[in-house]
Amino acid sequence: MSLVSGLQKWVRERFDIDPLIQFAAHKKVPAWRGSFWYYFGGVSLFLFIVQVATGILLLMYYQPGEKTAYESVRFIVTKVKFGWLMRSIHSWAANLFILSVFVHMFSVYFTKAFRRPRELTWFSGFLLLGLALGFGFSGYLLPWNTLAYFATKVGTTIVAVLPGIGGPVMELLRAGKDVSTATLTRFYGLHVAILPAVFTLLLGLHLMLIQTQGMHEPESWEALPEGKRRYMPFFPNFILRDLLLWLIVLNILAILAVWFPWELGKKADPFAAAPGGIKPEWYFLFMYQGLKYFPAKLLGFDGEVVGIVLFGLAGLLWFLVPLWDARTAKGARNRINTYVGILVVLAVIVLTALGVR
Amino acid sequence: MRARPGARARAIPAIALLALAVVAGTARAQSDSAAAPAAAAAAPAAAPRAASAARPATDACLACHLDQETPAAVAWKNDVHAARGVTCADCHGGDPGSDDQDVAMSKAKGFIGVPKKEQIPAVCGRCHGPGEGVFKSRYRLDDVLSKFNESIHGHVLQANPKGPQCVSCHGVHNIARVTDAKSPVHPAHVVDTCARCHSNAAYMRDFDPALPVDQRDKYLTSVHGKRHAAGDWKAATCVSCHSNHLVLQAKDPRSSVYPTHVPATCARCHADARYMAGYGIPTSQYADYRQSVHGKALLQKSDLNAPACNSCHGNHGAAPPGVSSVIAVCGQCHQSNEELYEKSPHRAVFERQGLPGCVVCHGNHRVAVPSDSLVSFAATSPCGKCHKSDGTDKAAAGIVRIKGLLDSLTAGQGEAVAVLDHAENLGMDVSDARYTLKDVNQAVVQSRVTIHSFAVKDLVEAARPGLDLITRARAAGEEAIHEYKFRRQGLVVSTLIVTFLVVVLWLKIRAIERRQKGEES
Repeated sequence: MSLVSGLQKWVRERFDIDPLIQFAAHKKVPAWRGSFWYYFGGVSLFLFIVQVATGILLLMYYQPGEKTAYESVRFIVTKVKFGWLMRSIHSWAANLFILSVFVHMFSVYFTKAFRRPRELTWFSGFLLLGLALGFGFSGYLLPWNTLAYFATKVGTTIVAVLPGIGGPVMELLRAGKDVSTATLTRFYGLHVAILPAVFTLLLGLHLMLIQTQGMHEPESWEALPEGKRRYMPFFPNFILRDLLLWLIVLNILAILAVWFPWELGKKADPFAAAPGGIKPEWYFLFMYQGLKYFPAKLLGFDGEVVGIVLFGLAGLLWFLVPLWDARTAKGARNRINTYVGILVVLAVIVLTALGVR
Repeated sequence: MRARPGARARAIPAIALLALAVVAGTARAQSDSAAAPAAAAAAPAAAPRAASAARPATDACLACHLDQETPAAVAWKNDVHAARGVTCADCHGGDPGSDDQDVAMSKAKGFIGVPKKEQIPAVCGRCHGPGEGVFKSRYRLDDVLSKFNESIHGHVLQANPKGPQCVSCHGVHNIARVTDAKSPVHPAHVVDTCARCHSNAAYMRDFDPALPVDQRDKYLTSVHGKRHAAGDWKAATCVSCHSNHLVLQAKDPRSSVYPTHVPATCARCHADARYMAGYGIPTSQYADYRQSVHGKALLQKSDLNAPACNSCHGNHGAAPPGVSSVIAVCGQCHQSNEELYEKSPHRAVFERQGLPGCVVCHGNHRVAVPSDSLVSFAATSPCGKCHKSDGTDKAAAGIVRIKGLLDSLTAGQGEAVAVLDHAENLGMDVSDARYTLKDVNQAVVQSRVTIHSFAVKDLVEAARPGLDLITRARAAGEEAIHEYKFRRQGLVVSTLIVTFLVVVLWLKIRAIERRQKGEES
């Protein structure tokens, strides 16, 4: 008896794994020209795992606090063995993670994979994207450097323009009137405890839904006879391809981390003047840039407030797309939705590029 | 003249202390008659003296007081103002056209009697103040009132009526021109005039208890004072530096004796070759000083810690430091250098040869930032003036060794910085090493100071901490560069391994799929 079969026997005697093996053996993934986009879910998962692993390692040395945050990160990147690598990978993986999640979301949108019965998968995925942005926003402040400090200040100030609730929400975020050490510890709590807990629960739900419902088949297949539809076994074909991509992403991560180590910058000085050209992280840039094009007054309301409300409404509409995509039930192709999606992607790319400039 | 004896008797004591009241003119007396009393009581300097076409033929005030031989009236005939047509009434008010004392000295005619001390500048300022009065146009008098009011004396007077005013310096009723040797402000007397207050400790205590009262005594010991005592009126007196009417405190940045202004103030005479002709001293000190490290610090960077002329020469007791006192003068600021020099072999040799200590190597007014090559046998170095580099002088080896140590520090520091720059350009964090390197500056400064002991073993001790720090910083930089290379090499290795795994996995997938196709077919 080989070691593997011996181990299987040992486990079978204690837990019935045969249904799981059967499930994996029969699970299939549609094989078509759009199959490539399926892998971005897996890449996002991989990058999340990298974030958890490197985050835990950083956690062993990081000390939140006005007098310790920056110093501890400096200690990590200069004194801790391979600390520079962990910090650099954590920073790069965070950005790649959000990029990957965005690609994943748009691929789901354009392939109409959010349609019935996968609405819950879409909703949970959208919330996961929101949490990923929350991870980015909260984690950016933790090194307590000048850019992070003032970017957080600008970011949280935008919320304050909302009439009525703006001020209290901003104070809730900042844990006070201004960005301070209280904000830092609050963001730390969010970044390492609250967000990971909620994210893990939602991710579990998201993965469970995907596994039980299977991959969405392309709309064009509805006209195809059963025999013409091509599938790929989930195990081992799809899993191995996933793994292959993970290894390539790992290579990219390592090259980025070593060749372009993430800068630490200068320690934040709340009494110093804000440096010029303060911008939020690139994934918030399209909103930041978009708000600039709103006039000071629009229909008698403050232009910035109108902008934030419009962005909020657009986000809500995007979130609720499975509910308002009217022709879903009929199974007809919905080109308008595709055009809207292309417009959104173009707008995000153009506004981000303008913001970076 | 008609006067009541009783009234006249009451008026005389007051008038005796005053200048005479002179009629300003019938027309003016008539026009001012209603407003004059109130104006005279509140503001004696309300207006400059108006041009007067009709003055009384006889100044009744002067005539009457001369009759009585009032000292003020007797003195007045020698006063510079009397000769210029100023009358008693110009200062004291009243009606000089009336021989009735009650009329001439009535408040209704603007008579103010003896002006209160604090009112005197305003009274003088009627003519010597701003605006265009008859005397101003005729004699082009300066607006000294405004200058006085702005001066420390003017401020003091406003706070304390005992303070100085015009008559404190110029006298009263027998005022002479400043060029007149009788004037208390003539160069011959001005020092004593100032000293009347400034050497009076009891008087000065009321105004500035901390201000020394020995300026005159010091002045008498100065070169200026000695020349002055010998009758050289070109020699600087108090007003030469402090100005006359616009005297400001030395701490006032507008003052001519504020540290940043002192060199230019001294230069007014000392850089003027024509003025200084005959004194047998150069006039290049100011130009030299402006080029010096001291001058640049004070005049360009406004560093008030930098010495001005008076820091080395003294102010009231100004004199060039003698050969024996140069070290002590420089040592006021450069204490460590002085202490080391005092113990050095040069001390006794220089003194024996009458060489002025620090000045021998550093010069005086044109003191430059000392470079390390000052200790060498270079053409610009002072060492070669006394020492020989041909091996016959046993000090030569020491000079070379000292220069070598200084070069090791500065060159080593530069090399370490270059290594750290290189490491930083590679993206490595070497801030700790840079911080370490900062302390090398301290060692460099310490070593440069230690040179003044002219003992090689002292310099070796002073330079050692700096050399150790340089070694450490350089090692940290080189380690960072090594770490950089290690990271790149590590990346190559890990990339190769991962790429190998990717290829293996791809081949495995292809093999599986080929097998699956075979099974399907």
